[in-house]
Amino acid sequence: MHMRRRLLLSALAAGLLLLGFGGRASAYPQFQFSSGTTRCSQCHYSPAGGGLITSWGRDESGDTISLGGDGAFLHGLWEPPSWVALGADVRLAAPLYNNTGGYEAPEWDVFPMQADAYARFAFGEQVSLYLEGGIRGDTRPPDPSVSGRFDTIGDRVISNEHYLMWRPSATGPYLRAGRFFAPFGLRFVEHIFYVQRYTGFDLYNETYNVSGGYVADDWELHVSAFAPPPESFPDALQSVGVRESGGAAYGEKRFNAMAMLALQARVGVGSEASRYTGGAVGKLWLEPAKLLFLGEADFTRQQVSAASAGENQFVSYLGATVFPIRGLMAGVAYERYQSDLAVAGTGLNAADVEVNFFPWAHCEVLAFGRYQFYGPSAGDSATGSLFMLQFHYYL
Amino acid sequence: MHNPPMPLPRLVCLAAVAAVLALFAAGCGGATDDRPPQWSFISATITEPSCATVNCHSAITQRAGLDLSARDVGYDRLIGGLYVVPGNADQSSLVGWLTAAGPLRMPPDNPLSDDDIQLIEHWINDGARNN
Repeated sequence: MHMRRRLLLSALAAGLLLLGFGGRASAYPQFQFSSGTTRCSQCHYSPAGGGLITSWGRDESGDTISLGGDGAFLHGLWEPPSWVALGADVRLAAPLYNNTGGYEAPEWDVFPMQADAYARFAFGEQVSLYLEGGIRGDTRPPDPSVSGRFDTIGDRVISNEHYLMWRPSATGPYLRAGRFFAPFGLRFVEHIFYVQRYTGFDLYNETYNVSGGYVADDWELHVSAFAPPPESFPDALQSVGVRESGGAAYGEKRFNAMAMLALQARVGVGSEASRYTGGAVGKLWLEPAKLLFLGEADFTRQQVSAASAGENQFVSYLGATVFPIRGLMAGVAYERYQSDLAVAGTGLNAADVEVNFFPWAHCEVLAFGRYQFYGPSAGDSATGSLFMLQFHYYL
Repeated sequence: MHNPPMPLPRLVCLAAVAAVLALFAAGCGGATDDRPPQWSFISATITEPSCATVNCHSAITQRAGLDLSARDVGYDRLIGGLYVVPGNADQSSLVGWLTAAGPLRMPPDNPLSDDDIQLIEHWINDGARNN
């Protein structure tokens, strides 16, 4: 790559970082098996995937996933010392069509969706410190009632992930403590999928955890205890969503580098309600067709103590992604969330279409379409549709 | 390194899992709604997961001054902010937002079902207590 081009891209990324807004640790569960790797932790420093990518992941991003280029930090312009790894993610989004409602709904708008910087410091061969920081996003126009809370860029600083980890080798046992998402379910880049939103893993829902597990070549197990950030913590360390404490477990078995089946459970206890979730995740990679099937289904029992009542909920994702040529993946998915299995009209459905193009290492263009609808038993309930483009650059 | 082909039973097992997933996705339930029209239940099961999201009515963002992230604060803001008129769902602007047509509708991303909206109306018409 020419030096001038590298410098231009690096300057562009730095500029976007200054203007950008925070998001979430990026992960592409579609790349398991399809990229030739079987464990998410081969490409990510996190033992369960997501966030800053390893040197192996950077090589894959240039050699396998995109049409070409140098996936290294700063496009290989400068190599950090071996004890530190650095990175960043920037996403710009442009909804081209959005009738899902809200007088502030961004239509024909462009907004920065994500700007996160990552650093991982290694202390010897076994211990590391992972830090992530970004700027809290705001996808809607200014609201006078909110302006007092987010007057300066400093008010928007947020750190979704920061943890200390003991991990003596790429496979084997590990322990980590800090703020992150407990390993659970499919973890897509987009936070809007029902299996993330309604299971406690929506945007900025990261909790404080003590987590441990074991990663082997063909199986892995992760067990976590979690709690919400203490209320005394500053806004930069606060999470959004239901304040629950509890535990989560995720166990995955892989078959011949082409399929996996995982079982998972989560218990979250809050001051007003508790949720008990159990579910499964599966993937099947068909190499001749370059086709990956992936799905997740979870049942949740939510019990509301003050009302002496509860409901059984169901959430699922069933998708197929094809990789027709290097640098391109296209997928369709069907989602369902039923907030009460006893009431047919509470079942919300979504049909998704997603095309990701990786023209060059560090760059991604994404087109995403979604149509949401209730079933016929829901009467005149509303529907909604969304189509958006995204530009993603990682450093 | 070339991997040996996957044994047929495992493939069948995985296909069965996929089929079960698809069946589950078809949904179930009846037309009767026996859920309690109580704010504690509505807050935990409807407004917190649907409305208290990061850029909307979460504790940290509080769009339009409305924090729906927990039972008590949500109740105080809805009543104090005159979004809910106890005993009169038709005069409550909350119901107006939830049932509005097109781009005026709330929530802006995932619309509530008619059953959920009717449960909220039921609670308001019952006096909108923090029960």
